[in-house]
Amino acid sequence: MTKKLLMIDDDPDFVSGIKAILDKGGFEVDVAYNPKDGMTALQTKQYDLLLLDIMMGRGAEGIMIARKLRKDVKLRELPVLIMTGMREQIAFLFPGEPIHPRFVEIDELVEKPVEPKMLLEKVNSLIAAAEAKKAGKK
Amino acid sequence: MKEFAYFPGCSLEKMASSYHMSAMETTQKLGVKLNELDDWNCCGATTYFYIDELLAYTLCARNLAIAEKTGLDVVAPCSACYKNMFFTAAHLKKDEDLAEHVNFALEEDNLHFSGNVKVKHLIEVFAQDIGPDELKSKVTKPLEGIRIAPYYGCQIIRPQKEKEDVEQPQFFEELISAIGATPINYPLKMRCCGGSLIISSRTAALTMVRNLLQSAVDNQAAVIATACPMCQVNLEVYQQQVNLEFGTNFSVPVMYFTQLIGMALGIPNKKLGIGKEFVAMAPTPLAVETAWGLPRKTK
Amino acid sequence: MTDTITFGQEISNLLHAAEGEPLKTCIQCGTCSGTCPVAGYMDNSPRQIIALINLGKKEQVLESNTFWYCASCYHCTVRCPQEINITELMYALKRYSIWKNRYKEGLIGPTFSEAFVKMIVRGGRSFEPVLATSYIFSFNTREFVQEIQGATELLLKGRLPLLPARIKRLENFRRMIGRIIPMGGLE
Ligand code: SF4
Ligand code: SF4
Ligand code: SF4
Ligand code: SF4
Repeated sequence: MTKKLLMIDDDPDFVSGIKAILDKGGFEVDVAYNPKDGMTALQTKQYDLLLLDIMMGRGAEGIMIARKLRKDVKLRELPVLIMTGMREQIAFLFPGEPIHPRFVEIDELVEKPVEPKMLLEKVNSLIAAAEAKKAGKK
Repeated sequence: MKEFAYFPGCSLEKMASSYHMSAMETTQKLGVKLNELDDWNCCGATTYFYIDELLAYTLCARNLAIAEKTGLDVVAPCSACYKNMFFTAAHLKKDEDLAEHVNFALEEDNLHFSGNVKVKHLIEVFAQDIGPDELKSKVTKPLEGIRIAPYYGCQIIRPQKEKEDVEQPQFFEELISAIGATPINYPLKMRCCGGSLIISSRTAALTMVRNLLQSAVDNQAAVIATACPMCQVNLEVYQQQVNLEFGTNFSVPVMYFTQLIGMALGIPNKKLGIGKEFVAMAPTPLAVETAWGLPRKTK
Repeated sequence: MTDTITFGQEISNLLHAAEGEPLKTCIQCGTCSGTCPVAGYMDNSPRQIIALINLGKKEQVLESNTFWYCASCYHCTVRCPQEINITELMYALKRYSIWKNRYKEGLIGPTFSEAFVKMIVRGGRSFEPVLATSYIFSFNTREFVQEIQGATELLLKGRLPLLPARIKRLENFRRMIGRIIPMGGLE
């Protein structure tokens, strides 16, 4: 069955690049360009993985979404791959320090730009891991 | 006795210590108690926090949460701090998700903001809580004959906070009349001074400061009264640079409204921080000047 | 869910309400530009910048100095007949250009912003002299001398602090920031 992914990212150029790679890789990708639309999509549709940006809208709103997700009984299981350009965007505030969303359990974090081969590998392995976990629970 | 939580803000710590001193002295004399917030942080105001607004809200919310603990409404003497705190409180009240996220961060300092604090500017305490009539009744040395230009600046009145008049406010004029002085009407009383542009666009900033000074001087202002440390510094400190740049010859004292009120209440100059300014106060009628023992014009 | 978004939508997504596209309601009346005290120094007036956004002229907008010249005085905002928060838009454009690393070389605004935010993030309070040194060298010599003059006089009058003030519960404060901006090796 085709895997369904949701991508929440405010940068249309980045989105179209990533979406092309994932389309080719056989995934079905929905896109939300702001956190609000993203939450609505998550609550109304079923996805196998979430691709999440951090700096959106007013600030690091991606973190807000990730936290919300982890508190939601239904969405808690959804694997999340954070793709962020934060280092470029605001890392001057913390020179040389790591990006560190340690207040939320996320599954992986990659920094933009994202390499196509690595992207597909990560997406596949995260989905597989989530499915294995689910199967294990049953 | 009315009591408020008081958020001085960074510029009041030193740059505007005279504002702080005169605010304390005058409120005390008028039966209002200002309690400085415990361990407050910079609200990150001016214009530089657009980089991450969630962070900006969090910084303001920390101060609001500290104020909330006291159960008192919070007062800020700096217009920028006031605007930031006011709108942070408003946004957090409206946006549950935002409030939840910001409160999650506040947990790290064992704080929580639930939205039950009213934010006021210091001048509102005088204009509303004390009121011009009460103020007038306490005046012992009316500043008779002194022409004062009230300078509202931007952020006390803009953006609109509730339903107040943003085109023709009068509360500053009323306070000036209450202390026996003459409020002058000049067209630029609510125009931006441009001070925040001094770094990014010096020419624009200095031109705007010049226009303002010119407008006040054209209307025979002896003093400009401000209610914000940034307005005060911009109009006063950049005066000599305006003079250098445009070959003008401005020498207008720019004082905090609390200093002027303090004088009218008979509080000694020293306690009001008078004497720290670049352009000393030189009220027009010389008699008053000598009677008060005020420093003469420096230029 | 659409395949892509317009530049106008991209900008609207940065605004506080992030609902709909307020800029689309602009009737190009020019009240904002007529009110703006800085319009004469901007390469595109506030009204023009909104028109450019609505036309999708991303490059032209990013090249513009308009939002760096905005003094955040909110005069346009209180007068706009369509209740567009133009000042917030200017903030959003600053944010957009910083995040995209697209601000023009030589603008002092962005450098100053960075220094300012950095300082508060570290100490909890702001400290003018540190700030001054980080931007003062961007001025030309004459301006530099004037600036120093101002600072020295402030010092002599006892109005500039010599040491930066810090808040007491600094560790908590830093961890608090860490929960908003997920960076830094705290713990
Ligand atoms: S606005 Fe200025 S004075 Fe007020 S707290 Fe912030 S930096 Fe400090
Ligand atoms: S008048 Fe100047 S200092 Fe005062 S609020 Fe406006 S820009 Fe800031
Ligand atoms: S005042 Fe409002 S409606 Fe008129 S041009 Fe400006 S933004 Fe558009
Ligand atoms: S807020 Fe900015 S754009 Fe609007 S009038 Fe003031 S300086 Fe001009």
